[in-house]
Amino acid sequence: MADEFIKGLGILSGSGLAWMVLASWYRTSSFESTKQLIEPLSSGASEGIFNLIAVSLMDVFLWFAILGALTFWILIPAGRQVMSELEKRRNAQ
Amino acid sequence: MSDNEPENEEIRTDGTGIVAPDNETPTWSERKARKTGLSRLTYEYFERARREDQDLRTESDYVERDVLAFPTWPHETVRNLSIASFFVGMILFLSATMPPHIGAPANPSNTPSIILPDWYLYWSFGLLKLNALNPELAILGGQKLMADRTYGVLANGVVVGAIAIVPFLNKGSARRPVEQPFWAAVGVFGVVLALTLSLLAIKNLMPMNVDLLFDLTFFLPVVFGTVTYAVLKTMREGYMYDLNRRYYRLRPPK
Repeated sequence: MADEFIKGLGILSGSGLAWMVLASWYRTSSFESTKQLIEPLSSGASEGIFNLIAVSLMDVFLWFAILGALTFWILIPAGRQVMSELEKRRNAQ
Repeated sequence: MSDNEPENEEIRTDGTGIVAPDNETPTWSERKARKTGLSRLTYEYFERARREDQDLRTESDYVERDVLAFPTWPHETVRNLSIASFFVGMILFLSATMPPHIGAPANPSNTPSIILPDWYLYWSFGLLKLNALNPELAILGGQKLMADRTYGVLANGVVVGAIAIVPFLNKGSARRPVEQPFWAAVGVFGVVLALTLSLLAIKNLMPMNVDLLFDLTFFLPVVFGTVTYAVLKTMREGYMYDLNRRYYRLRPPK
């Protein structure tokens, strides 16, 4: 239980940090902008293999943060509850 | 001198004296197989602290002191070092990886279009923007009783007054939110209200509808407070109560 929480939190914060770093390069025109980190891609983002890798990694990190936290905080605990409930009913019969 | 204390520092190999902890030491796979990790660890930690305390008390040169605490070295120092290392590492990482930003120099002869206080006073600044809550009275012919700015200042008085009476309330014996779900929910309400009022204060900069922002300012704290109350109630009836059973046995909740 506590292990699953820290796994989700670690994924959320670690992957979110990596996403923030990449988004600050590719989706931030100015740190005084009110839409920093969520702007459309900046102009030089599709030039060169390294920029392309970084842009795709940005999406990977974002979705890994969201889905990872969702998995360890909701899906796995819910699955365990369902399994234990099924086990209980099977033993009751 | 008793039998089990060695006379010299050498480890004897005939089975007496200090024996190397070989077969009793759990392997890493055995440690990993334990299912009661956190509660077991907590128990072992406090049990060991209690044992060390007991050993200290039975020593002949022990002097009873008023203050009972963990020693600075190594307990506090190791903890503080790890926290300091984390933040130093965070500063190094962010300064090395984020793009540099140097804004335009401030122009002292030009007043900025949006004037804001320091960020920790945003909540107070947000209370000055409650114009829509300032009631119009029919008895005054639809006029407002006081100016919007007076209303905002009075709203500050309400919040500061609510915080000022906290020291005079009976704080009870609860030490963690599970024991007092209602007051924990009140605390969460206050924290979230401070946050949403801060966002209301910078409504010029928020990329969303201003009316929606105003409604959320007072709706979100209620939502978060209710969720906190429900979650803490559930935790109290559920597993956390078992986890803290040893703690509750010492000091049962009201």
